Amino acid sequence: MASEKSSSDLTLLDFWVSPFGQRVRIALAEKNLPYEYVEEDLLAGKSERLLQSNPVHKKIPVLLHGGKPVNESLIIVQYLDEAFPDTPSLLPSDPYARAQARFWADYVDKKVYDCGTRLWKLKGEPQAQARAEMLEILKTLETELGDKEFFGGEHGFGFVDAAFAPFTPWFMSYEKYGEFKVAEVAPKIAAWAERVGKRESVAKSLYSPDKVYDHIGVLKKKYGIE
Amino acid sequence: MAMEKAAAENAEKAAPLKLLGSWASSYTHRVQLALRLKGLEFEYAEEDLGSKSEALLRNNPVYKKVPVLVLPDGRALAESAIILHYLDDAFPSARQLLPADPFDRAVARFWCHFSDDKLGPAVGAVFASTGEEQEAAVRQVHENLALLEAELREGAFKGRRFFGGDEVGFLDVVLGCGSYWLAVFEEVTGVQLVDADAFPLFHAWLRDFEAQEEVRETIPSVDRLLDYARGLRQMLLAMAAGAGAPADAPTAAPPSAAPPAPATADIAVDI
Repeated sequence: MASEKSSSDLTLLDFWVSPFGQRVRIALAEKNLPYEYVEEDLLAGKSERLLQSNPVHKKIPVLLHGGKPVNESLIIVQYLDEAFPDTPSLLPSDPYARAQARFWADYVDKKVYDCGTRLWKLKGEPQAQARAEMLEILKTLETELGDKEFFGGEHGFGFVDAAFAPFTPWFMSYEKYGEFKVAEVAPKIAAWAERVGKRESVAKSLYSPDKVYDHIGVLKKKYGIE
Repeated sequence: MAMEKAAAENAEKAAPLKLLGSWASSYTHRVQLALRLKGLEFEYAEEDLGSKSEALLRNNPVYKKVPVLVLPDGRALAESAIILHYLDDAFPSARQLLPADPFDRAVARFWCHFSDDKLGPAVGAVFASTGEEQEAAVRQVHENLALLEAELREGAFKGRRFFGGDEVGFLDVVLGCGSYWLAVFEEVTGVQLVDADAFPLFHAWLRDFEAQEEVRETIPSVDRLLDYARGLRQMLLAMAAGAGAPADAPTAAPPSAAPPAPATADIAVDI
């Protein structure tokens, strides 16, 4: 992670394994923007700076630009496109393509993390339902990806790729808890995950599936779940 | 080159946009209002949410919801906030709804998400519940409104007549198309949601918003909204009480009234 004092005056309040924070790290790397990375130890409590920067939700990631806070990962990524127009953009320029990119990033946002959480947190019927939903989500994304190298299509690696890539290390955990294989349910997504994982901005922002799995174990202990 | 540009502009004006919507859906109203504010012509098709059209299912296969904007070439867009962004992008010479400054845009998007994620569901929860559960939901609504009031009073929107500044903008459309439900729900549930004393700036904003010509053209009459809300409240309470079998619920609406009660998830009793 970049931690030198930034000439672009950017600071990122983040949590190492957060897929939402990772979206921002990926975007910053794609744009080659230096920034100060600040690890918030969320399991120990929230810092004053975090509480002041995001008083409404008290969540990371928070991007501070010249001290002014921008909250919510997808909003931050769009902000980076708009505030740094001379850097490679993650959203395409065509209005319809932009709308589609926003739609699918929003879909990932609405569906993946919540469903995944239910998958590892719950048991019995509710877990079975989460499993069914996860398969549906993966299949829907598989259809959208199709034979494209990236979700961004002609544009290349883009907004939706950055939005979804951080969930790829979570696939192994979803597979274990849901007893399925992404490669069987959504082979194109599995192939995309491997491709995208090799991209420099993504590789240096994500942690291994084992680390994610261990983190889930820590959370389960914390919530008193077997 | 000049002639090609003129032809393209004419095509842009001549070809109609088509909006699939539902008369009581505040998400639909957002798009209608945006189109009117921008002076963009459009055709409107009312969807029976209890019996969705093939066009809706084909154009929004992921969510199967309104609103859906269908472009002249047949391509479709769903999700109201995304449609509003598209309209700004696709019609750059028409009135822009989002602010120009990147930071202001981020703030507008943040509160839009807050409206859809927190405030709207909280208001919906008040409407769908009773007793202690409702009391908790009311407290939630008040907490959420207090946050907006604070932003109007001393935060991001300090000193502004509208969230967009001197004129109605993106966040006004998002919050406004839905806020009209507050007075309706107050009437139907007997619960106070927006106290003018507790939320003076929000109250004043809402009054100014609702006085705008394009808004008056877009929001259905209070009587229709009250009728709809009363029927909906009955149905939701019946479902909550477990007497939710279709035969028991008051889905047989009087002939003159609104379309049959749709699935709860489709009902934009939202804000």
